[in-house]
Amino acid sequence: MISKPTNETPEERDELASEYVLGTLSAELRTQVQQRLRDEPELRSAVDAWERRLLGLADLAGPHTPSPHLWQRIERSVNNVTRPPSPIAAQSLSWWNLLPLWRGLAGAGLAATLLLGALMLTQTTVKPTYLVVLVGPQDKAPGWVIQASNPREIQLIPLGVIEVPADKALEFWTKADGWQGPVSLGLVKPGQTLSIPLDKLPPLQPNQLFELTLENPQGSPIGKPTGPIQFIGRAVKVI
Amino acid sequence: MSLPETLFDYEAHIATCARGERQALRDLYVQESPRLLGVAKRLVRDTALAEDIVHDAFIKIWKGAAQFDPARGSARGWMFSLTRHLALNFIRDNSREIQGDFDEVADTATFDAQAHSGRIHQCLEQLEPARRACILHAYVDGYSHAEISHKLGTPLGTVKAWIKRSLTALRECMG
Repeated sequence: MISKPTNETPEERDELASEYVLGTLSAELRTQVQQRLRDEPELRSAVDAWERRLLGLADLAGPHTPSPHLWQRIERSVNNVTRPPSPIAAQSLSWWNLLPLWRGLAGAGLAATLLLGALMLTQTTVKPTYLVVLVGPQDKAPGWVIQASNPREIQLIPLGVIEVPADKALEFWTKADGWQGPVSLGLVKPGQTLSIPLDKLPPLQPNQLFELTLENPQGSPIGKPTGPIQFIGRAVKVI
Repeated sequence: MSLPETLFDYEAHIATCARGERQALRDLYVQESPRLLGVAKRLVRDTALAEDIVHDAFIKIWKGAAQFDPARGSARGWMFSLTRHLALNFIRDNSREIQGDFDEVADTATFDAQAHSGRIHQCLEQLEPARRACILHAYVDGYSHAEISHKLGTPLGTVKAWIKRSLTALRECMG
């Protein structure tokens, strides 16, 4: 394993990331960067930022129509790729997997009922304006619901208790279209219901991304997600 | 036919690929393969090689769909990065000759930044033309420092310094 030079400054790391994305590194340095990317979230994050910055230049190459055989070759190769059978893929599904959505909405409905009950007790009537169902990235099982009765505050509501390894924590993130990167909304305990003010962020938008990732107990050291995604979903405006 | 980028939901198609639905990969192919092939061909300068690169890229997209993280960047950007790095690995590993069709390809390579909108193009406009050419030859044509130096007739050390400073300027301009 190639580890990072002990005396590398953040500026040097960003420079390396920029020339990696630009394409000017030698074969040897490219291999080193690609090996380091596997276990260095800071470098990964710097490379991701450069990929986003420079992507617009890719359009300058101009399109080139592939030969008719290319898709057939890809299809043949895909047939030879062995994938672990996905329980969801085995079922007959329409374009979007509806079952978890409905499960999630059922959970959200229950949560909303409870919330409404609570709100009636406090003599306030508030209608949620945004709803997000957070599902597992692999099995699409819903784990959390987010609802917002105004664009400045959200409630994160668990639909069950999930297991988090003892030496890890769940960190909550959001990113709207056009943002440079995700923003941390803090650490979340499994099974905990949370109200989170969004006063330091722009108001909620449709399609805004929310996710929970597995991080170190103090949260991500670099302010960006570094661990695997546990739950993910996007905001839907409630009519 | 491919749709305008804004009308095609790349992320939903990647998520559907992750569930093993072949049609989603086919849709991504129809949508983006000409542009991906264009990028690869400009880098490796050979149509058959470029098709090999795009083939490998789509296999990576299929295998990697479940690990794709939308927080790290757009799904479309992921497809382009994947393809570019496969092509760049190839040309660096096979240390392309500086001679041959180098000049011919370079001369037909036109950059019309004004025809393109977007922040990166506005930021590029602020660089001196020779420095802008370094960035474009590197990103779009995959030229090494030495190839750019040869192409522009500028000393290697100057090219390296220009690129370094231009990247810093681009980062500041783009945030």
